[in-house]
Amino acid sequence: MFPAPVEKSSAGIQLTYKLALPVALFLWLLPLLAIFMTSIRPLSDINTGNVFGIPSDFAMLENYSQVFAQTDAWQYFMNTMVITLPTVAVSIALACLTGYALAVYQFRWALPMFFLFVAGNFVPFQILMLPVIDLSNKMEIYNTVPGLVMFHAAFQTGFCTLFMRNFIKALPRELIESARIEGVGEFRIFWHLVLPLVKPAVAALAVLIFTFIWNDFFWATVMLQDDARLPITVGIRSLNGEFVQQWHLISAASLLAAVPPVAMFFLMQKHFIAGLTLGATKG
Amino acid sequence: MASTASLRANRYQTASTTVALSAIVLIIALIGMFTFDVSWMVDNLGFTKRVDARVPSFFARFSCLIIALGAAFICFTNTSLYKRNKLTYAPWIFLFIGTAFFLIYVIIPIFQSISYSFTKWDGLYDINGFWTGEWVGLRNYVQLLDDPNFYTSLWNNILWLVLYMLAVPAGLGIALFLNQTVGGIRIYKSLFFFPFVISQVVVGLIFAWTYNPEFGLLSEVWGFFFCEQTTNIMGNLTTTCTVDPPSILGDPKYATYGIIAAGLWPQIAYCMILYLTGLNNVSPDQIEAGRLDNAKGWKMLWHIILPQLKPATFIAVVVTVIGALRSFDMVATMTQGGPFGSTNVLAYYMFDQAVGEGVGRYGYGSAIATVLFAIMLIYISYFLWRMYQDEKEGN
Repeated sequence: MFPAPVEKSSAGIQLTYKLALPVALFLWLLPLLAIFMTSIRPLSDINTGNVFGIPSDFAMLENYSQVFAQTDAWQYFMNTMVITLPTVAVSIALACLTGYALAVYQFRWALPMFFLFVAGNFVPFQILMLPVIDLSNKMEIYNTVPGLVMFHAAFQTGFCTLFMRNFIKALPRELIESARIEGVGEFRIFWHLVLPLVKPAVAALAVLIFTFIWNDFFWATVMLQDDARLPITVGIRSLNGEFVQQWHLISAASLLAAVPPVAMFFLMQKHFIAGLTLGATKG
Repeated sequence: MASTASLRANRYQTASTTVALSAIVLIIALIGMFTFDVSWMVDNLGFTKRVDARVPSFFARFSCLIIALGAAFICFTNTSLYKRNKLTYAPWIFLFIGTAFFLIYVIIPIFQSISYSFTKWDGLYDINGFWTGEWVGLRNYVQLLDDPNFYTSLWNNILWLVLYMLAVPAGLGIALFLNQTVGGIRIYKSLFFFPFVISQVVVGLIFAWTYNPEFGLLSEVWGFFFCEQTTNIMGNLTTTCTVDPPSILGDPKYATYGIIAAGLWPQIAYCMILYLTGLNNVSPDQIEAGRLDNAKGWKMLWHIILPQLKPATFIAVVVTVIGALRSFDMVATMTQGGPFGSTNVLAYYMFDQAVGEGVGRYGYGSAIATVLFAIMLIYISYFLWRMYQDEKEGN
């Protein structure tokens, strides 16, 4: 363990450490706390300059319900869901297939194909933007949710493949070899033997991709034009325009937009971190 | 004996009926996919608007595609060609859909973008579906060399790259601070990681508000040091400052730094989590050995811990570089490139030139994107090279 555990040091140091923890956390999350404090106070407080003091009135419920009542926030939330969930399903399903092929079969193109997925995963979005718009236009799905989902799913397949391939590569090879000797078909091996084993990887990817797509801003801006189809990330920016000077509502809306990924993170923390680091340290 | 021999022969034979049937289904599905048309739906199923019909007709075509793929799969796996060479063809069957999808949406567009960069085009086609642009050779790139906004963006990208790197040591610092086992430490770790989970748009809004010179958090802190509140005779509260609080996002000198500082917040959290996992895997034996050799503090960190954290450092650097070059969301939410174009980065400037209001310079935008891609390519090649080395060792 490095640094040396504080339990082994003097009582004074232990106490200092335990006091320093909450202080450091407070400073670290100060911007977030401040915006939370703004979101629970009435507008009159902000106008009179009481931005950081004790709220004159606890207006949390009013503010948050006002966000839903006065704006399309609910619509934006639903739109994000409709974009996010299919993307997660499609990209992970495809990555199970490609990852399996690249991890299990030893053929000449295995490594070059793998590198193709990895490299594509890192390109800047801007170099894809115009051709993807053009392509969606030709397929007559520009400015529709399926159009955006198709792109997201294709792009995320790159990262998911990187992750899946490394995960399957770490499984014991003998398992597959012995099934083959038994005469089990290639697709049966995949379906009955490998798929049950990659469940942890699927969980990790699901949490990660959910967060990535939920937080996506660029592609939604580029691929969707109609206000009725916008996801929450783009939505709160337009709310920002609607609610000029209504900081209590803007901050409430921003915090609401962050709730689902944060909840996902806390519920699935183990998978989330495994996802971030396993895909990473192995890659 | 005879029956097993015939069975074995059978195993490699084409199942003619199945192949023929699935081939027919495949052809019908393909015809359906390509002939299906939005206008057909509008005419026959009573959709009023052309736009309305696009989604259902997409799903109709998509279902045709799935049927076609299924039929092709059944057709091919029943031929003797596949049965005799399973191990040669099976990986390509597994790869087919994912790869095709990825090529169409990611790999091919890269080359298309590069080719757009040699044209002058506004993204439109004429009524017959013909391309309306013209080839201009290297003119877009020559124009870039004379564009002060391009230089600002490039310079800001370099600033982002350099300053964003601070996330790596800062993340390591926090990870070292948190790598303890006192009660409740797990909750502290996840709360420290918090900023990474929040959307960059929300982070941008939070910081735009923090920087607000009238009532933001920063002005509050500023007021604590430089301002004095007095109540005048009328009983009104007035604030006088020796130095006025800076308007960070409104001042071309500071705006980019303000955005980078906001961007560092989630990025430090990301690096921290990478290092925390790395520290978990540091071998305790080596630490003990180091302690016996009287290595302590910095010496221990530098000679024993950091070498073992190399994989974590590598990933932290890679994700930070990519994050820096992809810095779009923050710029878009906090300043939209302003004031006076001073916070443009290549990613945002490209967007602005290509699809910004009333601009539509596809060719010029693509040239900017190509430059950005070229910069990224250096890192991508390095990353792939490192991966290749690892793979060679692994096998």
